[in-house]
Amino acid sequence: MSAPGNAMDSLSAALKCNIIPNQEYLLQGSVLDQYVEVLLHRLRGLCDNVDSGPESFHDHELCFSLRIANTGATTPMSVFSLRVRRALDVSDTPYQLRYIGQQELGDKNRPTVVRSSIDMACSSTIVDFLTELGCRVDFEYIARGYMFRKGRMKITVSKIFKMGGNKPGETVEPISQSYLVELSVLAPSGQDAIAEDMRIFAEQLRPLVQLEKIDYKRLGNIM
Amino acid sequence: MQQREEKQLDSALESIIQRVNDLKQSIAAMIFKLENEYETMNWPSFLDNYALISGQLTSLSKVMSHDKCPVLRNLTVLPLMLSPERDEQLAQTTEHRVTTFAHDLVPDYLRTKLEPLAETKMLQLENKAVGLQYDNAQKQIATYQKVVSHVWDIVSKAREEWEVESSSRGNTQQNSSVADTHLLVAAVGMGKGLKMNPNGQANPTSGGMMVAPSGRPGGAPGQGQIPPTTQAMNKAPSAIKTNIKSAAQMHPYGR
Repeated sequence: MSAPGNAMDSLSAALKCNIIPNQEYLLQGSVLDQYVEVLLHRLRGLCDNVDSGPESFHDHELCFSLRIANTGATTPMSVFSLRVRRALDVSDTPYQLRYIGQQELGDKNRPTVVRSSIDMACSSTIVDFLTELGCRVDFEYIARGYMFRKGRMKITVSKIFKMGGNKPGETVEPISQSYLVELSVLAPSGQDAIAEDMRIFAEQLRPLVQLEKIDYKRLGNIM
Repeated sequence: MQQREEKQLDSALESIIQRVNDLKQSIAAMIFKLENEYETMNWPSFLDNYALISGQLTSLSKVMSHDKCPVLRNLTVLPLMLSPERDEQLAQTTEHRVTTFAHDLVPDYLRTKLEPLAETKMLQLENKAVGLQYDNAQKQIATYQKVVSHVWDIVSKAREEWEVESSSRGNTQQNSSVADTHLLVAAVGMGKGLKMNPNGQANPTSGGMMVAPSGRPGGAPGQGQIPPTTQAMNKAPSAIKTNIKSAAQMHPYGR
């Protein structure tokens, strides 16, 4: 029994020392299909992985949600969501389980959205495991595109597809005429300096892409 | 009269020395940066340094061409004594770059003319220019001007095109759409438009199905508390599953 205890101890120690990269700094935007080549070209010039070319990916993401009823009738039940991502183009890669917390927009002076994020690799049985836990698939999509790196920053340019049938691999259709562009960094909390670097990098992609802080709550009202 | 000129010379020399020292310092700082910070240095800071140096050069040449500045060309520096011995004072004033005031170094340091090699080359060119026929020279100038004006035409035409293009692009061309951004972000973040049951019409039926197995073990206890629209959309598959299960359980008793 000592081993798990030790693991928990070292985890909490790591948390205390603030070395776990559990904060995601995020900016989002999009680019129309016909200009994506221009954007990719520019990113190739700006980013680190110049020689190897852009890294492509083709992923399937499932978003699970677990509803936990709170005791007491006045409080609404809380929804807890987890994301499972798997590569469709490369077999024998692990699945990725990801928790994304509430996003904090902060005030005007903060250049990016900050949200807590925990990633881990797992095996394909995670889907069954989550289902057994009582999680239900909330929605799913397929993302296909390119990934770039610039220092600690990660830039993804991806097309989002809606699943056609109930099973992946059947006909998929793009949900818009644009590519989703995301600029993100995973860092331990309190490293706000990186956000400034991201703002500067985002400036370099204008006016091709407007990378911005996007408020999910406001989106919910608009659409 | 003599005194006034001397005074002027002194003040001019003083300001020149000061400018040269500034220049020397900024060049030294730039070299230091190049040697020690070449990994972290970026272009903007490099160009800042360069701009500083070029500004200092300009101010130096301004001082030298000022009215008050005596014509330095007319003055001579006369070395009074040369010695192969090490001169501590000289070494100190030159920061250990020049340690002796000796015969082999002095011609280089006190040079006021071009280097012999450069001088002969200049002389050659001047001779060639003098020996040139007037008509020939005119012809060459004309052809040269023709070439230059042709290049000028090409460049200005390209610039015009470029300006028109960039201005029209700035006004009309749009590379991204805000609506698409919102659509994509909402889809990836909250599953807008991606959920299993996107059309609202199916909700009442699936909602009805949800009611039947309400007593099933492990079912979410708080089902009634959330609005039926979102719940029905998310829970529809589970409802179907449970229905089958309960039906299977019922059959044995029916028979």
